[in-house]
Amino acid sequence: MNSETGERAPTQRAVTRLIAQAGQLLLAHGAESALVGDIMRRFGTASGMSEEVEVSLSASSLVVATVHNENCITTVRRSADRGINMHVVSQVQQICILLEKGTIGFDEARQKLSSISHKRYNRWLVVVLIGFSCASFAHFAGGDWTVYFMTCLASAGGMIVRQELGHRHYNPMLNFAVTAFVTSVISAQAIAFGLGNKPELVMASSVLMLVPGYPLINSAADMVKGYTTMGISRFVKASLLTLATCLGIIGAMSITGVWGW
Amino acid sequence: MFFAAIPAVGFGLVFNVPSSALGYCALGGAIGHGSRYLMMHFGVPVEWATFFAATMVGLIGVYWSQKFLAHPKVFTVASLIPMVPGVFAYRAMIAILKINNIGLSPELLEQFIENFLKAMFIIAGLAIGLAVPGLLFYRRRPIV
Repeated sequence: MNSETGERAPTQRAVTRLIAQAGQLLLAHGAESALVGDIMRRFGTASGMSEEVEVSLSASSLVVATVHNENCITTVRRSADRGINMHVVSQVQQICILLEKGTIGFDEARQKLSSISHKRYNRWLVVVLIGFSCASFAHFAGGDWTVYFMTCLASAGGMIVRQELGHRHYNPMLNFAVTAFVTSVISAQAIAFGLGNKPELVMASSVLMLVPGYPLINSAADMVKGYTTMGISRFVKASLLTLATCLGIIGAMSITGVWGW
Repeated sequence: MFFAAIPAVGFGLVFNVPSSALGYCALGGAIGHGSRYLMMHFGVPVEWATFFAATMVGLIGVYWSQKFLAHPKVFTVASLIPMVPGVFAYRAMIAILKINNIGLSPELLEQFIENFLKAMFIIAGLAIGLAVPGLLFYRRRPIV
């Protein structure tokens, strides 16, 4: 190592920490396991871990082991679920590509990784667009414009509840159950007052915003790509979210007395 | 097809897809849902139509991702959200809750099994369809 030139090689400890940090970010923000493992290995190789970089993932933690000059460092990190955020995933990947190409050095990569932006879209924009999204699902199923706007209203109302609860860090399952309850109470009014050509569509479509589509697709992809345990744990998590949603729907139906399913 | 682009963008916002990729989400959603609708119109079963539609989105996604320097899943999954079998999944779960509430009956068991299997096969079709470029062409090397 040559400390005068300012380009000294990073220590193995620092590289291992960088790899773990990148993996933690990817796993917490909903990247599939094959991508997490791949990017972590590429971070290691790009920072000079010539011999070996091994990664092991599980539902709540990750393990990184690097071997360099016959010296092995293994470290474990917890990975919390911070919700799906593709902006973070693509930023981590871009840092990895820049590091591989040699455009940025190790220190700069570490700095960029620590200052990744977690900024989300304006919440009211999300509310409006989710409203129209669910309304489009009702349109696919053959609803008319009254159904369209009732669905839009119900799911936009539900989305506000979901954001408020999510913002206060309530458990996602509790959040989904309450959101499904509120959404279904609003949409049950369409059946109670017989609005539109197929009022039951309002009830079915407005809760579609709560389907855990991303975890389900990730779970199947993980199992196909050999991360079976990760796939199973993601599948169970997604099923529990669906179950929580259905509990909310049933609760709303028994309170309003409208049985739309 | 226009109506499939709206949920793709809407869920793209929830997944916080970078704003420069939202257009790809919309286009992918329209292509995916449109092609699935067309295939089902000509009598292809829903699972296979979903698989081929997802394959198409996956292949186009690889091309876009290499321009955009991000993993294709960053925007392809949002494009597939309009095809996720939410109603089947909910019907299966509601059947389970009803079996618990009012007791087992052949109709409820049938409702559960049929909807569950339909949902699972469609999900598998979506996930494997998206993975096709990696399984066929990018076997031992990364896409970006």
